[in-house]
Amino acid sequence: MKHRIDAELPAGPSHLVRALWGFEVRVRPLPEGEDPFVPRRPRFAGSNLWLPSSPLLGVPGSFPDYLFAACAHISAHLRFGAARFDVKSLKPAQIAIVSLLEDARVERLAIAHYPGLERLWAPYQLARADGAKTSLSLLARLARALSDDAYLDDDAWVNKGRQSFLEARATWHDSDLCRRIGGALGNDLGQMRVQFDAKNYVVEPAYRDDNTGLWHFEQESTEDGAEFESEGVRRVEGEAPTPKRREHQEPQVTPALERKGGERQPALRLAATSEVPRATQHPEWDYVIQRERPAFCSVLERSPASTDAAPLSSTCDAHSQRRLERAAKRLADRHPARLRRLLDGDRVDVPAAVAAVVARNSGAPPDPRVYGRVRFRLEPPALLLLLDLSESLNAATPSTGTSLLQLARSAATLLATSLSTATSDLAIHGFSSNGRHEVGYYRFKDFDDPFDEQARARLTGMRAQLSTRLGTALRHAGRALATRQAPRKLLLVVTDGEPSDIDVHDAKYLLFDAKQATYLNRRLGLLSFCLGLDANAEASVARIFGARNYSLLDEPEKLPERLAEVYLRLSA
Amino acid sequence: MSEGPLDAFRIQKEPYYQALADEISLFEAAYTARLPVMLKGPTGCGKTRFVEHMAWRLRRPLLTVACNEEMSASDLLGRYLLESGATRWQDGPVTMAARHGAICYLDEVVEARQDTLVVIHPLTDDRRLLSLPARSEVLRAHPEFLLVVSHNPGYQSALKDLKPSTKQRFGAIAFDYPSRALEIEILIHETELPRDLAERLVSMAEGARRLKGHGLDEGVSTRMLVHAGELIRGGVGVEAACRMALVQPLTDDPDLVSALNTAVRACL
Repeated sequence: MKHRIDAELPAGPSHLVRALWGFEVRVRPLPEGEDPFVPRRPRFAGSNLWLPSSPLLGVPGSFPDYLFAACAHISAHLRFGAARFDVKSLKPAQIAIVSLLEDARVERLAIAHYPGLERLWAPYQLARADGAKTSLSLLARLARALSDDAYLDDDAWVNKGRQSFLEARATWHDSDLCRRIGGALGNDLGQMRVQFDAKNYVVEPAYRDDNTGLWHFEQESTEDGAEFESEGVRRVEGEAPTPKRREHQEPQVTPALERKGGERQPALRLAATSEVPRATQHPEWDYVIQRERPAFCSVLERSPASTDAAPLSSTCDAHSQRRLERAAKRLADRHPARLRRLLDGDRVDVPAAVAAVVARNSGAPPDPRVYGRVRFRLEPPALLLLLDLSESLNAATPSTGTSLLQLARSAATLLATSLSTATSDLAIHGFSSNGRHEVGYYRFKDFDDPFDEQARARLTGMRAQLSTRLGTALRHAGRALATRQAPRKLLLVVTDGEPSDIDVHDAKYLLFDAKQATYLNRRLGLLSFCLGLDANAEASVARIFGARNYSLLDEPEKLPERLAEVYLRLSA
Repeated sequence: MSEGPLDAFRIQKEPYYQALADEISLFEAAYTARLPVMLKGPTGCGKTRFVEHMAWRLRRPLLTVACNEEMSASDLLGRYLLESGATRWQDGPVTMAARHGAICYLDEVVEARQDTLVVIHPLTDDRRLLSLPARSEVLRAHPEFLLVVSHNPGYQSALKDLKPSTKQRFGAIAFDYPSRALEIEILIHETELPRDLAERLVSMAEGARRLKGHGLDEGVSTRMLVHAGELIRGGVGVEAACRMALVQPLTDDPDLVSALNTAVRACL
């Protein structure tokens, strides 16, 4: 069965579970059903949750609230549930009723901890004590009666269920009571000659899971079930509230992307450089298991090919170049600034003091601003400019036909030229990847090297090819930048869109890895900022770098100026 | 006792402080030994309140300096002022405290430029001297003088840290958020909330603290809980007060805001 997994789920529900109970769950979109009119329900297996990614039919209230309610319900199962029930000789109706009792039991226990959960769940209890007494409506009424003490029902069976459940209040911590009461209620239902339609049964209220996570079924190898099961169950950290819940606790060893893409050997195409490149291993973040895969990606540092330096192309007008050079000179000026004519300061501003005395002696009101202060300038930040050199940079801009690569080259050259007088704490690196074993990394200009003819020649020889494994490159660049002794460290990334690589088929995988890499870089004290060449890539760029740390170019031709502007703004 | 100039800095009324462990006796021992003290801990866990309480307990005036990057050595030591045609020396807070025997408290000390802080070095070892070159004076610290600094190691620790030569002059007391029972007591004392409501607010804070490192840089502090309690006492609805005092100041991430708002609803 093909699952659509491109749908987005907000991160809120899993945050809520961590806040409430302190353990982690993995939330994924529930696969779309074949028939949109067959009601679907959330599902869980261990700490894996599948929630619908779009509102379900006939569910009241806002969709985010629904997701919170569903997630809170499943987390109550995880927190207060015990081992899965064995089906043994239970009939389908009994299974459904035992599940309802278990739902009510864990919710009651959760409400004892967090009373407001009751209000989160109550709006979905829509059952009313009227209409035909089908098994479906009776079970929905029982569900409501078990949870809602103010609800009145006239059905003897529903009331019997409620009464038995409430009388067992003292043993709510023990899930066996559900089996005991549920078994009896199921028998009663049979004696009332109410047909239980197992095929069309759907759990009510709608925020509850479909109960498959509560039971050991004899055969779990249906195609659908196998797909769900194969995701594996893995508690990510901390306490394991349901230690004996599953036998299927084997963590999934092969990541999805490898299963699908297959193991790749580094292609010969890139490896055929003259020297053997240094390989550095970096971990990679897998959002599916919410863990880092240690030493998962290899960065190969390669010497960039150099070509005779061509003059700086005229994509940047002389005006902005002059402006940048002036600003760079200001940055280079490391002399302390003397601030004069202040109301308060370290020292007397002698000319102002003289003027004040003169004014007073001549009977005029003296200007009280007679102090001065020395202000030390901030050192310019250490800057690493990281260029995405993937194949897509060969694309030409629609208006002028200049390739994006050429623009990136001009921008890097302009920045390096202008800043060469101000600081040598500037590096220009680039990357392109060919699967996780081969993330090529090029140092066109490294920290402390002069921006000389050789560096220019290397920039001119820069090529765009292959793919964008952004997260690995961010980690590698972050490591290089973090070792600099500078008060501020700035990682400027120029990229043309979202990360991608040949061995990854899940678009979100590399995106989350890059986000994680940015987060870790921030922890290293680096400020990351992204200049996006594709105005349509806003969603992914914002996700990786954070809401304020990116700028998208509507006109890629403006890259040199914009890069300079961004640098000046961030270093001011 | 007549430390005339600093009478305004004396704390008259006992500031409420609920001891978390043995920090009061440790501080008193440090004071007896005249060992400068560093208070470490997350924001809003009671470091400043603790210093106020200790100043009251030891009956010393308290001079507090909120450190910032623009602060210069003369902001700490003092400077000449012009006054009616003549100059007059004005002691800075450190000089004033050293001269008259007060407790000088440098709050968020990592925010200051690290070269600026070097001026306090001679005060913090056994010399207990302060040299004021502008005044050609070497000030021998008053026997009752004590220097206290605070910083938050979790916050921007990679960017800003104290020089080891500064750090090693201090004895340090580590603070953390109070235990559940103590935090409830503190909240009740500070805001007069009913006990069950205080318990729920503390549950909420515990939930938010579990998200630290999972999107939040810092968890809900005791101070934020007190803010929420004060809003509630002032007539604001409980949920609105929690949103205003606990959730919105903590994060701008919409997913986290919605998760925290739901956690607030779950706790109430």
